[in-house]
Amino acid sequence: MRIHSSVPAALATALLVTSLGGPTPVAAADNGPIKIAVITDMSGVYSALSGPGAVDAVKMAVEDFGGKVLGRELVVDGIDHRNDGPTAAAKAREEFDSGAELALDLTNSATALAVDGVAKEKHKLEIVTGGASSALTNENCSKYTYHYAYDTYALAHSTGSYIAKTGGKTWYGFVANYAFGKQMLADFSAAIQPFGGSFIANSEIPLGTTDYSSYVIAAKNSHAQVLGLLNAGADTVNSMKAAHQFGLDHDMKIAVGLLFLSDVDALPDVFAGSRITTSWYWDEDKAARAWADRWSARNHGLRPTDIQAADYSAATQWLNAVKAVGSTDADKVVAYLDGRKFNDFYAHHGEWRARDHRVLHDMYVVDVLPKGEVKEPHAWFKILQTIPGEEAFRPVSQSKCVKDW
Amino acid sequence: MLRVVNFAHGTMYMLGAFATYYGAQELHLPFYAALIVAPVVVGAFGILLETTLLRRLYGLDPLYNLLLTFALTLVIEDLMRILAGPLGSPYSAPDALSGIVNLGFTLYPLYKLFVIIVALLVCAGTWWIVERSPVGARIRAATENPVLVRALGIDTRRLVTLTFGCGVALAALAGVLAAPTTNVQPSMGDSIIIYTFAIVVIGGLGSVLGSIVAGFALGVLQALGSVFYAPISTTLIFIVMVIVIVLRPAGLFGRAEGSR
Amino acid sequence: MKRPLLLIGAALLLLAIVLPLPPIRVYPVVAIDLVCFGLFAVSLDLLFGFVGLLSFGQAMFWGGGGYVTAILLARTQLDAVPALCIGVAYALVLAFVVGLISVRRSGIYFAMVTLGIAMIQYFCVFQMTDVTGGENGLSLSSRGHYFGLPLENDVAFYYILVAVVAISVWLTLRLVASPFGMVLRGMRENEQRMVALGYRVNRYKLAVFTIAGGLAGFAGALYALGNRLAGLDMVDWHTSGAVVMMTVLGGIGTIVGPIVGAGLFESLDYFVSKTPIGDKTNLVMGTIFALCVLLFRRGIVGELLAKLGRRAET
Repeated sequence: MRIHSSVPAALATALLVTSLGGPTPVAAADNGPIKIAVITDMSGVYSALSGPGAVDAVKMAVEDFGGKVLGRELVVDGIDHRNDGPTAAAKAREEFDSGAELALDLTNSATALAVDGVAKEKHKLEIVTGGASSALTNENCSKYTYHYAYDTYALAHSTGSYIAKTGGKTWYGFVANYAFGKQMLADFSAAIQPFGGSFIANSEIPLGTTDYSSYVIAAKNSHAQVLGLLNAGADTVNSMKAAHQFGLDHDMKIAVGLLFLSDVDALPDVFAGSRITTSWYWDEDKAARAWADRWSARNHGLRPTDIQAADYSAATQWLNAVKAVGSTDADKVVAYLDGRKFNDFYAHHGEWRARDHRVLHDMYVVDVLPKGEVKEPHAWFKILQTIPGEEAFRPVSQSKCVKDW
Repeated sequence: MLRVVNFAHGTMYMLGAFATYYGAQELHLPFYAALIVAPVVVGAFGILLETTLLRRLYGLDPLYNLLLTFALTLVIEDLMRILAGPLGSPYSAPDALSGIVNLGFTLYPLYKLFVIIVALLVCAGTWWIVERSPVGARIRAATENPVLVRALGIDTRRLVTLTFGCGVALAALAGVLAAPTTNVQPSMGDSIIIYTFAIVVIGGLGSVLGSIVAGFALGVLQALGSVFYAPISTTLIFIVMVIVIVLRPAGLFGRAEGSR
Repeated sequence: MKRPLLLIGAALLLLAIVLPLPPIRVYPVVAIDLVCFGLFAVSLDLLFGFVGLLSFGQAMFWGGGGYVTAILLARTQLDAVPALCIGVAYALVLAFVVGLISVRRSGIYFAMVTLGIAMIQYFCVFQMTDVTGGENGLSLSSRGHYFGLPLENDVAFYYILVAVVAISVWLTLRLVASPFGMVLRGMRENEQRMVALGYRVNRYKLAVFTIAGGLAGFAGALYALGNRLAGLDMVDWHTSGAVVMMTVLGGIGTIVGPIVGAGLFESLDYFVSKTPIGDKTNLVMGTIFALCVLLFRRGIVGELLAKLGRRAET
């Protein structure tokens, strides 16, 4: 039988080939182009907050830098991870093996964590802007990963402490029943506690629940002052819709854990009146607006989200580092960046914290304005307070990061 | 009833919701009108699908219909995503139906009360038509013994098409009712379809009463679950389904077939 | 009938061997995925093609095997092969238990029971975050070792995988050609007759279901090992749907057909994602599959075999 006899042949071939070291992956020659792999959700639920707009932002950064570094051409690859960890990891591997020196964006924590492992393996750099999990600089901290824009800890400590300070002491939590939601609950609880705040009760709600009636009624009956929506995406939308329907927004302040400009663009009536934290707002000052105007001109008049701005900023900072160090070698770039302070239109009082690779910068607590109060298209936010990076992000003393580099 | 396992049923629900949204956006269609217009439009689309595609597979193993409608689900959802984007599209209930009502033991949104009443009326009406009316008798006869019914001179093909269209229209109606309270997005059918199948199986294939009873019962069960141990509330349906199939293979009210 | 199947099988094996080599140069991990899905599809074919039971929850074995293996490798000191064996054992036991409940049903009821139990397993995997990593999945820092075989090298792993999968497929072909397989074919053609002849059809169905589950678990464990990652997608019902599409596309009841189907499906997915319409893979796959169900029901290999059969007769 043919198959029977070809199995030993296959084994022999396998051993022969591996003893030759196998075919080498297509490695970039030392004067070939340098690639930046923007790995994001290009078509799914996160594509508006990051997606093609983020890839464009990175292209802008490359163009502004001159299109070249160290005499080599710069290429930006937009990769769709489709919100799937294994897909993200596989594509990251492929990109790293074919000349990419930086994996950027990683919107969706599962993909950020998956690529974290690949970056460690290949000794290449990963800068996470879109992914939320604070575990990236805590239990899962790594030499080759920087967490750039925001994380669950910062969201909790900015929104939570501001609301607790201004009278919201008793909280009811809608906790999305997965790691993100639970992480948010832990972070929010810790944030409001120093100001006398606490969660008097919570509902752990399955992902994808569409009917929030029983949870809203429970929240109402708890007589808490604040409703904390510790969820994301469609879950946030559905819980907001239910909260409005039951008139909860008249009795309680609604703290939304995670929200982006693009979410409000899609559903302005739903999110009006919520209080959130963002890492950047396009109209926060002149420099921000100037950059936003340039991005908007290339993107049909939309306004950029903080993640898209973060991608531009991170790419530029990385390129500066590569130029200063004279090499794309990740170890050398990390040595250059660690501990360095910087400022740009996105990161005010920025610092590449060496201890755990958390990048610090100012964060902003904002209110989402209703349609009637908006002065120009997409001007949804009103900044209430600026929270300095050292206060917003997890202090080093509380870090579980085991620094092995 | 038709032995068509329509995996695309969830997309019909989604299309009903989007028809409502686009109706309001482009044609300024009021909500009350959408309650009629959307089911008719989507129902017509369903009939188109049935006559051009599904009909070809009737002579074969019904599993092929399941596969075809599964493929259609992917296609329709992706097309909708290209058209409307993956995020939600905004839609709110009409002002007359917004607001809260005091039921004595709790406060309750007026709109949800409206949905409950409409749902009960439609379910009762459907049950009556299928179980008590002459048309219903013909449909039931046609699904049980099509050859004999045709011999009596009744056009079974048209009956089947009509029934399918009505099923799709009902799904679309559910979508219209859902639009104000649920995020109107292309994947909204995806999350609901497997629960729908579970409910139909628990109620028993071929039994409208079964679906109604199972649907309401499981809705209550899910709400109870959310009070006691919320994480499991959406998985309860499957646990119940497995238990029911083991104990009563044909479902609660179904006819005993497909079991040994 | 057997000759063409073996020829196709041999051709596939040859293709598998040259896949990562120039000039085709398929990326090793992508090739690993192709081969694992091929085996997964074969397991479904055993069930669907030979007994006519359409399981819509096959991912519970694929994912179950994958997760158990990954959990053992990540959280214990066990080596690659023992972890793999336990993963397969889990899949076999789960398949046996699920089979006991489900094989008495058929058609849509059977599909729904398998789907329902798969959803329950999904919930368990999702909730047990400490063990499974929840929605972040379980990352493996290494593939473990076995007698000094260079498992970390992607290419080496791939060729070992090809050998292992080739043996598994060959064994499946032998099973199907055996007297056991004959009984299955009889059941597919006329179950009432087999019952009348005294065969305990439910026992055969249970046996096939268990074997298919074990095979799927084996494929899943290899996939998790190959990708160094077990994610929720492995136990998601959409994956069950995908493998059904692969099997039908390739050709039900041919064993080697589904391998072609899986290869085509995965590579289409991979290549389409690189094109401008890359985010519309569902649209493309759905359309292709719909056309297949409507017009080419026998699948690629099925149609091929039919054509060859016709030519032989003239």
